[in-house]
Amino acid sequence: MEDKTEREKDTIILGVIGSDCHSVGNKILELFFTAEGFKVVNLGVMVSQQEFVDAAIETNAKAILVSSLYGHGEIDCQGFRDLCIEKGLDPIILYAGGNLVVGKTPFSVVEAKFKKMGFDRVFPPDVDLKKVAELLRQDIQEKFGSDSREAKLDKSIQAKESL
Amino acid sequence: MIKNEKIDLKEFLEIRKEVLQTWPTGQKVSLDEAIRFHRTIPEERRFAWVMKKAREKRQTLLQPRAGVALIDDHIKLLRYLETEGQADLLPTTIDAYTRQNRYEEAEKGIEKSKQAGTSMLNGFPAVNYGVEGCRRVVENVTKPLQVRHGTPDARLLAEITLAAGFTSFEGGGISYNIPYAKRVPVEKSLQDWQYVDRLVGFYEENGIRINREPFGPLTGTLVPPCISIAVGIIEGLLALKQGVKSITLGYGQGGNIIQDVAAITALRELAEEYFRQEGYDDFELTTVFHQWMGGFPEDEAKAFSVIALGAIVAKFSGAEKVIVKSPHEAMGIPTKEANAQGLRATRQAINMVEDQVIFKPEDLRSEVDLIKQEVRCLMNKVYELGKGDVAVGTVAAFEAGVLDIPFAPSIYNHGKIIPMRDNEGFIRIFNKGNLPLSEEIMAYHRQRLMERARAEGRTISFEMVTDDIYAISKGRLVGRPR
Repeated sequence: MEDKTEREKDTIILGVIGSDCHSVGNKILELFFTAEGFKVVNLGVMVSQQEFVDAAIETNAKAILVSSLYGHGEIDCQGFRDLCIEKGLDPIILYAGGNLVVGKTPFSVVEAKFKKMGFDRVFPPDVDLKKVAELLRQDIQEKFGSDSREAKLDKSIQAKESL
Repeated sequence: MIKNEKIDLKEFLEIRKEVLQTWPTGQKVSLDEAIRFHRTIPEERRFAWVMKKAREKRQTLLQPRAGVALIDDHIKLLRYLETEGQADLLPTTIDAYTRQNRYEEAEKGIEKSKQAGTSMLNGFPAVNYGVEGCRRVVENVTKPLQVRHGTPDARLLAEITLAAGFTSFEGGGISYNIPYAKRVPVEKSLQDWQYVDRLVGFYEENGIRINREPFGPLTGTLVPPCISIAVGIIEGLLALKQGVKSITLGYGQGGNIIQDVAAITALRELAEEYFRQEGYDDFELTTVFHQWMGGFPEDEAKAFSVIALGAIVAKFSGAEKVIVKSPHEAMGIPTKEANAQGLRATRQAINMVEDQVIFKPEDLRSEVDLIKQEVRCLMNKVYELGKGDVAVGTVAAFEAGVLDIPFAPSIYNHGKIIPMRDNEGFIRIFNKGNLPLSEEIMAYHRQRLMERARAEGRTISFEMVTDDIYAISKGRLVGRPR
């Protein structure tokens, strides 16, 4: 694993959206992404869009990973990207994963639906988490690459000065 | 402050006025009309009667889960499960918005479902449809109907569905709070469920027997049998106090056959014992076995195998009812066809083992005795904390982590215990958190877990838990290293 200090780690927001109380996968995602070197802010289950966005603003997060297991994901996620833009979170990376719609639907259909809603990536329930972490690192690099390096540089200079 | 005391009728009727005002459909609930209607329901459509008969005849009845957003579609679904699925008992599974009392969102879900021509909700929004809409469901099926949900405050839902003619109601103050909610205090949900049980008690006083079923599987994820059983006994005791007579206690399949059969045996024997100990003797106690509640394999062929094993173990355990899964479980909510397939697969497996006696009680005794000792450790502490009052003790027990449900979303749950499978797939406890289990019991659990660690050549770690959680969906019971 990359050895990063707490300060250098990229912050990501985790949570299960809407009235969904499936908590097992959420606890495992937290452990997994923490082990992968992210700074994880886990909002737990039954999280509203507003709570996701507020947490992202507060922690300067680079990505929001939305889970939904109970089938209402389609209703719960509508307008998520718009809310992010409205709150000035334009570049934030949005992922969605789980059993996102009611009933057995081909994944390609689900994926298209959620991408149209503004999600950058969509994952089925059996996705290999290692792959997700890899994609997430790539996406963060692409969207925030130079910015975040500069920001880190600034911080490290400040840190040195304060010494 | 909460107490395990029967709610006084006058007080009940006072609270009732407020409950019925929380959504417009509440105004149309009439207990008089409801009782008149219930008197017209024939025996074979009454849950309590059918469960009692199953016990007498040593049958295991089949019940699916099912619920969609629109009434006509819901009726079609249930009828299909009666005819093509040959279900013995029917459900009406309630959608997740209604479970959180978000009736406005449920209303939107109904509208969106009408527009989409398919269900956009994961269940039937019974409160929005009111007594009238629910009555249509009751009048269009021939098997006993139960409300299945996951609602911390189910007072209005109970008022409406029972008045409509449903004859059984699932849930309880612990089992429908801790695994289903994030911020509901235990004391609040216990009180709200005392109300539901009091309502059932009111029907009972008027000659109408409604079946009550605490939700045994809890989070459905590596729940040690002792925790599930202690919760079931507590919810049973709380229900009896309010006048409930017909109680079905549940347990979710863990995966090890001996442990599962032992758990149902211990559940039945201990519930009987604790109920009598508190002075009750005119209850009708039955048990329900839930087929595997954790993650399922995506491959439908493999899923059928999980379903069939659950069916077989349910029969061996002697449970009066089995809750059936479908081959679509990994993908979410099943189509009616898949749901009926789950029922038919279960029926076939049960029929093939029904005349066999594989387990003699003595083979199981040591596991039954272990579970019983564990439950007694938990119950003794609950009574001690409550100074003899089980409701007071339960609130204190969750505060202290004396009762602790693994992987639950509630902030009122400690979440400190770590369960995992031993080398034979029994669910054991690695870290007991604050559970008041004796040193001797914990030494046994650790010894069994060490056997697995040795066999797998790794130390006991949280990785084992994660491996165990996904093991069945990936094709086996114990999460061995890959």
